[in-house]
Amino acid sequence: MKNLLYLLGCIIIISSCQKVIDVDLNETDPKFVIEANYTAEDSTVSVKITFTSSYFDASAPTTVNNATVVITDHLGMSLPVTFIGNGMYELTNYVPIFETNYTLTVTQGGVTYTAVSTMHTPVALEDITYEYYPAFFGLEPGYVCDLNFLDPAGVENYYVIALSLNGVPDTKLTSLFIQNDAFSDGNFVTRPLFKDEFNQVGDTVGMELRSVDKVTYQYYYEILSIAGGQTTAAPSNPANNWDNEALGYFSAYSNNRKEVVIEE
Amino acid sequence: MKLGLTVVFTFLLSITFSQKYTISGSIKDATNGEDIYGASVVVKELDNVGTTSNAYGFYSITLEEGEYTLIYRSTGFENQEVKISLTQDLNYNIELKMPDDVQEIAEVKVNAVKENDNITSSEMNVTRFDPKSIETIPVLFGEKDIMKTLQLTPGIKTAGEGNSGFYVRGGGADQNLILLDEAPVYNASHLLGFFSVFNSDAIKDVSLYKSGIAPEYGGRASSVVDVKMRDGNNKKFNASGGIGLISSRLTLEAPIVKDKGSFIISGRRSYADLFLGLSKNEDIPDNTKLFFYDLNAKANYRISEKDRIYLSGYFGRDKFGLGDAFGFNWGNATGTLRWNRIINQKLFSNTTLVYSNFDYEFTIGEGDEGFGVRSSIQDWNLKQDFSYYINSNNTLKMGLNGIHHTFKPGALTGDNQTFNEIVLESRYAIELGAYIQNETKLGTRWNFMYGLRYSGFSYLGGPNKYEFAEDGTTLSSEKTERWTTVKYYHGLEPRLSGSFIISENNSIKLGYNRIFQYLHQLSNSTTSSPTDNWVPSSNNVKPQIADQIALGYYQNLNKNMFRISTEIYYKHLQNQIDYRNGADLFLNNEVEGDLVYGIGRAYGFELQVEKKKGKFTGWISYTLSRSLRQFDQINDGKEFSARQDRIHDISIVAMYKINKALAVSANWLYYTGDAVTFPSGKYEIAGTFVPYYTERNGYRMPDYHRMDIGLTWYMKERKKFEHNLNVSVYNLYARENAFAISFQEDPDNPGATQAVQTTLFKLVPSITYNFNFK
Repeated sequence: MKNLLYLLGCIIIISSCQKVIDVDLNETDPKFVIEANYTAEDSTVSVKITFTSSYFDASAPTTVNNATVVITDHLGMSLPVTFIGNGMYELTNYVPIFETNYTLTVTQGGVTYTAVSTMHTPVALEDITYEYYPAFFGLEPGYVCDLNFLDPAGVENYYVIALSLNGVPDTKLTSLFIQNDAFSDGNFVTRPLFKDEFNQVGDTVGMELRSVDKVTYQYYYEILSIAGGQTTAAPSNPANNWDNEALGYFSAYSNNRKEVVIEE
Repeated sequence: MKLGLTVVFTFLLSITFSQKYTISGSIKDATNGEDIYGASVVVKELDNVGTTSNAYGFYSITLEEGEYTLIYRSTGFENQEVKISLTQDLNYNIELKMPDDVQEIAEVKVNAVKENDNITSSEMNVTRFDPKSIETIPVLFGEKDIMKTLQLTPGIKTAGEGNSGFYVRGGGADQNLILLDEAPVYNASHLLGFFSVFNSDAIKDVSLYKSGIAPEYGGRASSVVDVKMRDGNNKKFNASGGIGLISSRLTLEAPIVKDKGSFIISGRRSYADLFLGLSKNEDIPDNTKLFFYDLNAKANYRISEKDRIYLSGYFGRDKFGLGDAFGFNWGNATGTLRWNRIINQKLFSNTTLVYSNFDYEFTIGEGDEGFGVRSSIQDWNLKQDFSYYINSNNTLKMGLNGIHHTFKPGALTGDNQTFNEIVLESRYAIELGAYIQNETKLGTRWNFMYGLRYSGFSYLGGPNKYEFAEDGTTLSSEKTERWTTVKYYHGLEPRLSGSFIISENNSIKLGYNRIFQYLHQLSNSTTSSPTDNWVPSSNNVKPQIADQIALGYYQNLNKNMFRISTEIYYKHLQNQIDYRNGADLFLNNEVEGDLVYGIGRAYGFELQVEKKKGKFTGWISYTLSRSLRQFDQINDGKEFSARQDRIHDISIVAMYKINKALAVSANWLYYTGDAVTFPSGKYEIAGTFVPYYTERNGYRMPDYHRMDIGLTWYMKERKKFEHNLNVSVYNLYARENAFAISFQEDPDNPGATQAVQTTLFKLVPSITYNFNFK
């Protein structure tokens, strides 16, 4: 909706212009950022721990390499997630049990951060379809792929969708799509996924449908509204499932993937 | 209620029994027979005795038997003096003439009598314009807009670059009661706020009240903008119009029966989309629509000497569409049916039925893939007002009204298989008002307006009643019966304003008002959007309450040539609304769970120096003010600046009439940048840097300033035809004012982040041609 209004705004604004400016921003103490995913299809837990940095600092974020990371299942069984370098921690071959909770704890410098996420049952992707679109506000004509799946009826479902092009996944935050079933519970959902550019004949387009829990969905909803230069009236840090004011999120999700080659 | 009775009693005591007679009648414009609102009737022989005409041109004054000279006066008209011998009740109707340009210079002398209403009236500084007086002021795209001219006066701040929305004395954008012929206009702007819905050609008068608001008005916490439509020429047919860059306008008016009734119909349509069609740009889909239109119509008829009926309506719509892919349209419709009756020379009655509707709709796709979303708010209001002109010192007004509100917050419908049809629960409410007020003159130095308003609000059953926990999660929902009261709020709203006349050139005034606001607009965007829904007070949402006290000093200099007004005010706001992080305001039955409540305060100093007469006219206004909010759930409970907390705000408006044919004008504006939230750090999530925020509205946008100039050429006038050409330049020195600053990754250098400023308008020239067939 906001994008459409923005587009409307753009059309009437004949003389608008954009430029990069200098802004004097305050400094703040570095904050702990924990980005943690437990991917069902890969049976892998991967955790990245960094600190916040000054907004205009062009260097890579400071990583945290001496934390203790542990994942615990609904029966109380714990396994360590081990440090693999550069702020990354990983646990592989960790088979999920659907519709149960997983708890991740991160301990560093005497402080323990805890987050809980629910691993939901995967929702099956149907075959990818695509449609031809003519030139549109400066975009070259081409194809747009449709996401197709049957939403399970009677339960709240939340999804995050990632695309890939010719085998290269595009999992950058601002390239992800989110979807819930508030208006489409139990329906066969078809949704065109518009990117910055249309696809062309010969492209192999992949989709990954992740079933995430409500907290994760809400986190993506909020963070997408502040990422990528969006301006809202009162931006704020997204609510998440970490305690002790850590930033980031922990998401246990099930997923499945499909591919299609675009033909004329 | 007890207080109300005391008020009535006070007046009854003040009526003394001696031989008195009443003179009453109507005051009209001699050229077109339109009623003149707010014309003064002054008794030359007596100090501080006089009255003003009401919105229907009616006046009444009661004096002791004797010989008097009455002076009838209104801005833009020649004064008329009438000698009367008051030995019985009299009816005297008068028509005021506009001065010829030739006489204009001599007029200064004639007018030196008494032009100091601003000093003597009990009202605090009311901002009042008739569209004619400001027609030469340069505006964006040459589209004259009375709402934008209001923003050039102290205490009234624009909602943003080129925007017709505004904030009054630190209040919110939804705290302005905007009335068009007594009908509330819920969304007073076109095209995201760049134009207001008011077509200047159809408007007689705009008054903005920001302090000491009279008890007859209620329902919005910060201000009242009372827009009155013209009645139409009741002497002869008249056609006028204009052709501009953005839109063209045409107004037709004529008598229905000469001197008994008249009508006016005025239309305006924009045509930016026609240019899009001409551009033959292949990137822009066929059938791209982007326009708005307005239609104002009004008719009045005098059934008898004592009865008159008015019917007026407004219909306006914005339409935006990209072929079949996307459509978006929204608009207001209002209707007002009025019956004036002069019950006797002292008692005037007005009965009004008002309808108002605002709705929006957007559609995506067509056929099997299509779906649409609709939302609306609709009011029916029945209103009875009386004015009782007791004697030359007291004018009593009282009235009652009841409004039935219907809110349809949203419905999603269509054949698209992906979506279930969703219809949000309609919500209903009844808003009641009753008021009594008296304007009184005590001796020659004190004038008061005091009164009381009772307001009540019944949130009716029909939708589910929700209860929410502290953190916003839904605790329970239960069914409610239609036409039962789920929650009733009410309150007494004392209003007072008074003036102490030090001399005929200076005075001090004081104003206090308390106002309850029962409807609230939910918006989370920086520009005004038609999708900003109105919600009623309910078992979860409490009414907003504003208390404001203001004090002013007014001085006229050089025989009323210059007017200086200074005011200070303090405003306290209760039950202000904001949102939880990540609030979902769209198609959400449980939206109230996402709201949080806090308090606000605003205070400031306002100064205006105005020159109203002569070849050179204009004003300088300066506002020093703060507007702050405090919410337990926001900013760790610490007080923060409201977005419109602009500390300094300066406007200079200058108009100079070079000769009969040429007039030039210029504005210069400066204000402190808006309070905004900028990041104080960043972190990486999914390979993207996102901003890290530490405090709400802790930063400032760059200061805003710009200059506009305009030139109006009044071309050779014929007997039956006059026309002029207006050329203007908005933002003459092409200042790159920041509309928005966004923080994002550098597209050319991933990993680095940058701040990008968007500027909307750099040097916009425009040209408008206006004509009038007499």
